[in-house]
Amino acid sequence: MLRSTKLSLAAPLVVALALGGCESLTVPDFNNPGIETLTENPTRSVVIAAAHGLLLDARSGISGRAGYVSALGILGRESYNFDASDPRFVTEMLIGPLDGGTPAFGGAQWIPRYTGYRDAQNVLNGLDALSEGEMSTAEKAGIRGFARTMQALDLLLVINTRDDNGAVIAVTDDPTGEPAPIVTKAEVFTKIAQLLDDASSDLQSAGSAFASDIRFPSGFTGFKTPATFRQFNRALRSRVAVYMGATDPAQYTAALNTFLPASFISTTASLSTGVYYNFGTGAGETGNGLFEPSNLVLLAHPSIRADAQLQAGGARDQRYLNKVKTVASVGDQASQGIASDLAYTIYGSTNAPISIIKNEELILLRAEANLGAGNVDAALTDINFIRQNAGGLTAIPLLTWQGWSAAQRLDELLYNKRYSLAYEGGHRWIDMRRYGRLSQLPLDKPNFTVQAKYPFPARECDARTQKPAQGCG
Amino acid sequence: MKARIGVLLALFVCFGMGMANGQTRIVTGSVTDALTGEPVVGAEVSVAGQAIRAIVQDNGAFSIGVPAGPVTVRIRRIGYRAFEAVVPANQNTLNVTLAADVLQLDEVVVTGTATQIARQNLANAVATVSGEAVTQVSSESVEHALQGKVVGADIQVNSYAPGGGAQVRLRGVTSINATASPLYVIDGVIVSDAAIPSNQNAVTASTGGNNPALTQDGQVNRIADLNPNDIESVEVLKGASASAIYGSKASNGVIIITTKRGRAGRPQVNVSQRFGIFDLANKLGSRTFEDAAELDAQFGAGTAAAVGFTPGVAFDLEQELAGRNDLSTETAFSVTGGANDTRYFLSGLWKNDAGVMENTGFAKHSIRANVDQAFGDRLNASVSTNFTHTDARRGLQNNDNAGVSPYMVFPFTANVVDLKRRADGTFPDNPFERSNPLQTLGLMKNDENVWRFIGSGRLDLAAVQTQQQQLNLIGVAGIDFFQQQNELFFPPELQFEDDDGFPGTSLLTNSDNVNITLNGSAVYTYSPGGGGTRFTTSTGVQYETRDLNIARVTSRGLTAGQPNIDAGTNVTVNEIRQRVEDFGFYVQEEVLMLNDRLLLTAGFRADQSSANADDTKLYFFPKLAGSYRFPDLGGVVNDLKIRVAYGESGNQPLFGQKFTPLDATNNIEGIAGITIPGNVLAANVGSKELKPERQREIEGGVDATLFNDRATLEFTVYQKTITDLLLTRALAPSSGFSQEIFNGGKLRTRGVELGVGLIPVQSPGFSWVFRSNFFLNRSNVTELPVPSFLPASSGFGVGLGTIRIEQGKSATQFVGNIRIDPVSGAPVDSTIGDVNPDFKVAFTNDINWKALRLYFHWDWQQGGTIVNLTRLLYDAGGLTKDFDVPAPGETQGAGLKRLLEGPLVGGDTRIYAEDATFLKLREITLSYALPQSAVRGIWGGIRNARLSVSARNLLTFTDYSGMDPEVSNFGNQPTGRNIDVAPFPRTRSFWFGIDLGF
Repeated sequence: MLRSTKLSLAAPLVVALALGGCESLTVPDFNNPGIETLTENPTRSVVIAAAHGLLLDARSGISGRAGYVSALGILGRESYNFDASDPRFVTEMLIGPLDGGTPAFGGAQWIPRYTGYRDAQNVLNGLDALSEGEMSTAEKAGIRGFARTMQALDLLLVINTRDDNGAVIAVTDDPTGEPAPIVTKAEVFTKIAQLLDDASSDLQSAGSAFASDIRFPSGFTGFKTPATFRQFNRALRSRVAVYMGATDPAQYTAALNTFLPASFISTTASLSTGVYYNFGTGAGETGNGLFEPSNLVLLAHPSIRADAQLQAGGARDQRYLNKVKTVASVGDQASQGIASDLAYTIYGSTNAPISIIKNEELILLRAEANLGAGNVDAALTDINFIRQNAGGLTAIPLLTWQGWSAAQRLDELLYNKRYSLAYEGGHRWIDMRRYGRLSQLPLDKPNFTVQAKYPFPARECDARTQKPAQGCG
Repeated sequence: MKARIGVLLALFVCFGMGMANGQTRIVTGSVTDALTGEPVVGAEVSVAGQAIRAIVQDNGAFSIGVPAGPVTVRIRRIGYRAFEAVVPANQNTLNVTLAADVLQLDEVVVTGTATQIARQNLANAVATVSGEAVTQVSSESVEHALQGKVVGADIQVNSYAPGGGAQVRLRGVTSINATASPLYVIDGVIVSDAAIPSNQNAVTASTGGNNPALTQDGQVNRIADLNPNDIESVEVLKGASASAIYGSKASNGVIIITTKRGRAGRPQVNVSQRFGIFDLANKLGSRTFEDAAELDAQFGAGTAAAVGFTPGVAFDLEQELAGRNDLSTETAFSVTGGANDTRYFLSGLWKNDAGVMENTGFAKHSIRANVDQAFGDRLNASVSTNFTHTDARRGLQNNDNAGVSPYMVFPFTANVVDLKRRADGTFPDNPFERSNPLQTLGLMKNDENVWRFIGSGRLDLAAVQTQQQQLNLIGVAGIDFFQQQNELFFPPELQFEDDDGFPGTSLLTNSDNVNITLNGSAVYTYSPGGGGTRFTTSTGVQYETRDLNIARVTSRGLTAGQPNIDAGTNVTVNEIRQRVEDFGFYVQEEVLMLNDRLLLTAGFRADQSSANADDTKLYFFPKLAGSYRFPDLGGVVNDLKIRVAYGESGNQPLFGQKFTPLDATNNIEGIAGITIPGNVLAANVGSKELKPERQREIEGGVDATLFNDRATLEFTVYQKTITDLLLTRALAPSSGFSQEIFNGGKLRTRGVELGVGLIPVQSPGFSWVFRSNFFLNRSNVTELPVPSFLPASSGFGVGLGTIRIEQGKSATQFVGNIRIDPVSGAPVDSTIGDVNPDFKVAFTNDINWKALRLYFHWDWQQGGTIVNLTRLLYDAGGLTKDFDVPAPGETQGAGLKRLLEGPLVGGDTRIYAEDATFLKLREITLSYALPQSAVRGIWGGIRNARLSVSARNLLTFTDYSGMDPEVSNFGNQPTGRNIDVAPFPRTRSFWFGIDLGF
């Protein structure tokens, strides 16, 4: 009797305890879409939104006053930032050394790129998880080609800053685990080329149009179908091939024969034809921080005036006249005694787009590839085309050109790249480094130095049990 | 172990079926107060071992049926010493006097969610504060009334802005990144103490840099809504050893508030009317300028002429801003009564405090109905309902980056300009800064309206009630709902309002909070008889949900100054939603044996929560405690108890920490996308193992009653060890993410508490009760698996003094720069102080002489550090009172010297780190009870009448140069406090009161 009473009363208690341990109390995140919306059973609309997110990622970290264009411009002696509240735009960037521990300076140009890189990987994984019914194979191929192209662009911007320190090319499944290894510059370029080539194949099997719910901003005008977007892809591949050519001359040939012809290179179209980052002022938009109407902080390096060649009439290079204006002289705020009375006019509003790659560069890339491949005369054709059409300068006679040394011809190429691509993403700094000419960049003061490459951000180093051989302070 | 569970289960189920013995005789008598001779109405008369109860009536008489033969009669009423005596078989009358239990010797203390134990046996140092003690002087929020009254509780206001906002820190620091508030339980319902920002940041732009969260809005934690007059008692479980039974939400301690309930008898009405004023109690002062040259030297040539400076004319801007003394009123009433089966308590409060600044003040309106209904002897139902409305007009305070917060403007505004309202109602512009504080306060609105309902229903079933065994089943269901509306309006006429190109700002924040608590408990008591042995087995389940939904609208550029948010030309919206679901159960066994000498307690709580990464997992929090009494020792010691207790409790992850969110708020030319958040702090990877922080506390102590129960002593030492702290780990950015919240590290807090109660004089017509408490604690971060870091909302970087979490250091240490390294030229930092005081002491005296009563309560804090950034601002503006006044032996002005050596030029932060020592006369009341004959002469229905004058925070003694040493720019934070940035100035209040009983 006693025993059965015990059981009957104990039973509900036991049941209560057992239930407590099993019943789940799941509450979702009400405030944000979780990453699992993309990684677990994604829907078409989520994948499309994530693909659009890559456009947001791409412009992140580009247009700020400490962003890619401004920072690389300072390193390459194209521009200054005389911000009164932060002397490090002068001390760290012009005097050096770059410090990986300062997130806005030596530790910069890294986080936004890898945010985009993982976001793109999530898009690729999401595409794999979508059923055929939700998205057709051709639609998937189009988005895949788009995502891989954006990944390649991210890696290209990373290696442009880290150079032979190397970079990370893998996306680990678990972001909280040991970080993916840092690989050499050569491996990074191989990966970039691979991504672009894979993307190119994807785009070729993507049909005549992207998925109807994929939208592109105005900076992609003319490149909104798989076929035309592939021209953008091939344009980037051309730049990558030229960058790789120094150690792999076959890339020059491939650029001339394969990549450039498939890009949007044209001597009849506008030189500014190309793909651009877009900016805006509306809610949720990012503005172009390089627009500064007061010209008190962001200035151009005086050497751009001194080095400009003269047109036949005596005026300076038309590209200088188009891109730079004289303003009231502004001194640095870091007590270094430097000053400038020049400012760029390239970005005339907070909405002004920034070039990713444009026709003018492609023509110069063809010249550079021809020089690399030993086609000296062919190179001159393109250089003269740019000199005349962009700079208003006289053509260099063929005989003169043939009489120049290789170094002189390279000087001329780099001069044109400098003025054609000034303040559009560190081309000057990158090009001079590629040819071992950083020491030719002008130093404002004897104690100034030219930084050759960025270290890794301190957080990147701290998170690793095995520190990379170089790049960690 | 198995055997013990068997015993436990057997105890739980093996009850007999015996019924109460037949009642064969009637004992009658009276119960009166030993001091006053008045009837002790509502005292409960019971017979040991029997389910027989009687209540003492209005005239003090009682009548109870008892069995034949000698019986042990007990008489109890809260606030009185208990009476217990054997009534022989032939005695049928019993006249008893009860002495007031001013030293809380016979108190009964909650030990679980449904069990109680006599204080004399208690194995924990649980502090209890009576309702009377929290209503000595009018207070806006119950924390104000608790300051200095709970040993081990460091209670500080964040500023003196009307409406509350105070931090309760029980036994030191218990977390770094989790919640800072204790768990509040009112009548069995877990109530919200959320502190919701007003969004004044939209105007002050206080966020940014190190402090992206809205924590500088002077937010009020919502326990402020409670009516202190409704409180019967407050019990404070200060650490895990006492609070383990509340499991994963109890790490910061638990504050259990019980509201008053009805007492059977004729209706008794109490009405209390108070009139008072609030008064500016401190001013910082400002530099005086002798001549135009001095003014021009500070502010640039031509300033004196431009602002119309007249030598010798100075304006007291602080007085003009905060010098109001408008009438404040408070009307409180309560009615209690009922028949034997039905009892009720009704109360109301109508309180209107006028602020010292224009457009500030605080109103609280409250209605409560607590009803108890007995259904026979065994079933009792009780309902508690409370509806409150508070309206806090907060003014404007704390840090800002837009030049609008008054004490951010005064440091840069020389007192040579008249900023008062002109005759036509307009205000002059402030020529020195972006705003005129007198205009700002005169025209703005910062209203926090809260409508709140807290209700609970409780069923008590005495399923078994015999001499040996009792089984009580208890069910509680409760809800806490509030809606908070923050309406802020800054009309376009304000001087600063055109600065952003959008004149006029209207802010609306609507917040809804719903807490639902469901509780079921079973308590089984088994008294085998003889030897004073009693087994109490309790078990229960609890389910709880907490929903908080905040929607903010920021509207700028108000067309024609229309305050509606849709009148703005620039409107942004923001929504935050949170929901937490918890399930838990507990089992506890208490054994009282050896003639009430030995108490052993063991139990555990198991908790499951949606806030944890694994929302199906149960986390267990055990407790174990024992105490042993040496009663009747003889000599001066009447009763001595030694006690040891161990327990564990938790602190849940915050909502959202377990998620890996994507950002869906950005677009490019209208094309919206989702990405990993670009904001470094938001690019969070939710840990798959996120779980509650775990506190293990061991405490031990000695309690003694001395000198014929005229003195008590309570001494406690404790050590808390908190592991699995919620910490942030930086991830390699190449992963695409920035951080992960994980559990790790170890924090230790140790402390000592001493409480003394004394009745130096106790004679008819004169009594003096003295209480004092002393406590101190120290914390140490003993393990930190991440680099040293600055916790959120704890300062403005090392140069200006901040909390830094560092292994081997106190969790509340301030660090700052102390010198420049001569080699690198970089500043060198070091510990420069600590938020935590060296110790705190409070003294309370309660003196009754005939009809007069004098009560006063001192609160003393020794040590602690405040970073006085308000002073730094005044120095930066060149307007500190002593800016040009050299210290003795110096030639340079004191303020100028601070400025030139201080952190604004990369110098020594310690210049602005000041000692936080203070002594405050928190409460003082002098009251006079009108003679019975006199009041009855006015009207026969009046039972008693009392006149009183009282004051809160009447006197403050401190060397601190700022507004007040109780200050927190960031509100309630787990570690950070004592950062002084433009707080609402200190006020004191004076009251005249009439209390009438009918």
